Amino acid sequence: MFAFLISALWLLAGFLTAAQAQPLQPEDAFALRVSEAEDGTLVLNWRIAEGYYLYRSSFAADAGGQSLPLSLPEGENHEDPYFGEGQIYRQDVTAKLAHAGQPVTLHWQGCQQDGICYAPQSVRLDGDGTVLADDAVASAPGWSPRATSSREAGAAAGTPSGLVLAQDQGLVQGLAARGGGVLVIAGFLGFGLLLAFTPCVFPMFPIVAGMLAGQGKTLTARRGLALTGAYVLAMAAAFGLLGIAAAWSGANLQMALQSPMAIGVIAVIFVALALSMFGFYELQMPLALQNRLGRVAGRRGSLGGAMLLGFTSALIVGPCVTAPLAGALLYIAQTGDVMLGAAALFALGLGQGLPLLAIGAFGPRILPRSGRWMEGAKRAFGVIFLGFAIWLAGRVLPGPVTLALWAALLVGTAVFLGALDRLEGDASRNRRFGAALGVLLLFAGLMQGLGAALGAQDLLRPLAPLAGRAAPLQTQAQFAEVTTREGLDQALASASGEPALLYLTADWCVTCRAIERGPLADPAVHAALADVAAIKLDVSTFNAEAQGLMQDLAAAGPPTMIFLDAARAEAQGSRLVGKMDSAALLASIGKIAR
Amino acid sequence: MSITRRDMLAGAAGAGLAGILGGAVLWGSGRGTGTAEMTIEDVLHDPDNPVLGNPKGALTIVEYFDYQCPYCKMGHAMLTRVVGDEGDIRLLMKDWPIFGAPSVLASQLVLGAASTGGYEQAHEALMATDAKLTEDQVRQVLGDGGIDTDAALAAYRAERGKWDGLLARNGRQAAELGLQGTPAFIIGERIYPGALDETRLRRAIAEARRAS
Repeated sequence: MFAFLISALWLLAGFLTAAQAQPLQPEDAFALRVSEAEDGTLVLNWRIAEGYYLYRSSFAADAGGQSLPLSLPEGENHEDPYFGEGQIYRQDVTAKLAHAGQPVTLHWQGCQQDGICYAPQSVRLDGDGTVLADDAVASAPGWSPRATSSREAGAAAGTPSGLVLAQDQGLVQGLAARGGGVLVIAGFLGFGLLLAFTPCVFPMFPIVAGMLAGQGKTLTARRGLALTGAYVLAMAAAFGLLGIAAAWSGANLQMALQSPMAIGVIAVIFVALALSMFGFYELQMPLALQNRLGRVAGRRGSLGGAMLLGFTSALIVGPCVTAPLAGALLYIAQTGDVMLGAAALFALGLGQGLPLLAIGAFGPRILPRSGRWMEGAKRAFGVIFLGFAIWLAGRVLPGPVTLALWAALLVGTAVFLGALDRLEGDASRNRRFGAALGVLLLFAGLMQGLGAALGAQDLLRPLAPLAGRAAPLQTQAQFAEVTTREGLDQALASASGEPALLYLTADWCVTCRAIERGPLADPAVHAALADVAAIKLDVSTFNAEAQGLMQDLAAAGPPTMIFLDAARAEAQGSRLVGKMDSAALLASIGKIAR
Repeated sequence: MSITRRDMLAGAAGAGLAGILGGAVLWGSGRGTGTAEMTIEDVLHDPDNPVLGNPKGALTIVEYFDYQCPYCKMGHAMLTRVVGDEGDIRLLMKDWPIFGAPSVLASQLVLGAASTGGYEQAHEALMATDAKLTEDQVRQVLGDGGIDTDAALAAYRAERGKWDGLLARNGRQAAELGLQGTPAFIIGERIYPGALDETRLRRAIAEARRAS
């Protein structure tokens, strides 16, 4: 869903600038071919597109800070006063460079006739004339800003790490986002609708049902709709505030929301909700409050109450949905557009609330009547809530503890399903089904318990420690871990000549865990990464160093993957932010692999 | 123990709010060093960049240019005339020196002249030239245009942090926007790379007005 949003935005961005005839990309306007003569001289040939020209005076070559003599043919003396006294080349120019025996940087500059004058271009050649940036040029149809930074002006497109970032993030995206705001908002509405069917939103159903039930028999469809509408609007408004906070605080809101504290609080809330589902206590709007709402202002009071309830509900649900929302929040934070952030998350909240409106419209009639069935459903919800709490807490708890909790939940559920009860001969079919399910859960629970005792980390492979090391390690991509810029520089230096993958991650990054268990554990990805220096940038400790690192990489937050070719230039359109799948990862790796 | 829904909601609300506020304040303060996020505001309303045309104008035109770029200078008189005709256009000429030392010097001297109110005069004098320039020619042209280049250089040096910051920002914006060279225009919220003739310029302005 989110990937779709982004690609739609990109289409739009393409449209915004492609609506008119574009000047050629500089590497197409001036295509460089290098060959080596028999005596070791490098022959440099630029094929110049029709209607473009290069300045003779702009050609230069240097190595190790020394400028090298470049032999150039006579150029065309132009009559046009605008070109000044210099000479230019059209169509084609060949220069010769004596064998240098070390890497050489070439510089050149030119214009499109009556159009644009390009920023200085440059390329690095190996000692034997191999174009080090060839990969980048071939794989990046877009412009690589390698040459932009006019050194005199100190305009830095490169980073202090000497990396060159592809400039396909940032303002253009912001512009596109503004142009495509409606699209973004519609996307978030749909996204919200999807989220409405996750356990995060389930607690709202009993809350809304309780609210409507409190109205007693006088409830009409219109009244129900008004109440639920007020509830949903207030909830969406609370989400809108979250959007404002996200846009305003930059990338860092999700870090706060995914801190161990926040996760702990949410997990506890879900445990409490689960216990109430099991009937340990009843969650009801306090009578006093109900009376006051009913008495004080009649209908209006109730609407206000519904809104208050909606707003506070969003505060329960909000942090819960941030895991799936991480990508969305990152995106909002990147645009920094407060209005868009607010509108998008308002739409998200609205989407989540749409199913609730159905309850409001049809009233408690569509809700199942109380009775045995309802009791069963409530218990099932309770189990789901507990499971959700464990899943959340699993982000911050050690693996074996999480497994032990799962074991407890599964065994407990199994017992309540009657796995250990003796079945009488005349037991009903349902009872037998329940018992069978219970036995299965019991078995799964015992496995998890055993896993916990063995120190296993992975829910799906509780017995992995018994199976030896081979299996899990084989499929895990090997990353060098760094936390500082020096570390990054060293890691990149030790892998010189190889393309590199920078993976920005953190302990508290929920999506990162999913990526590590998913696409990064994919054998195909693992194989593709064989010739790539994989470097993990750990920003768990979000200090100045980590912030500086993220700023250098123009990364808003984890998870972000940056793909650098051998020349340390980011491949155009390769960056991955947020949730990703194997296909996306492989596509991006393909852009930097030889 | 009696836990009511109100208690729970209040607790959750409190925890949630505290989390959001605390997080925002905490990270907000860390953000002071400036994440490099660029917004359209930064491009259209850089406070350090002198403004030509009508500073209170409703529409902003940004041009990334170089004092040696032939097509920037060729179209400049027409651009100035159209901006004058339209009446409500803010014109931001963003120095993006890509033609080496003479361009950098030209930008430095013109920005320095801004400190003494001579920005437009200095800018127009250089934009009226038609060829590539040497550093001496830059001084010569400005001197002929009534600018004290020594004073301008001193003024630039006195506020070096501000002007160098502006130049670096312009270069970074150009890179972020994927601009390939000069001239490059931003009219409304659209990027137009390369020279614009009067027809295309007027059409771009009309489109920007329609869009806003």
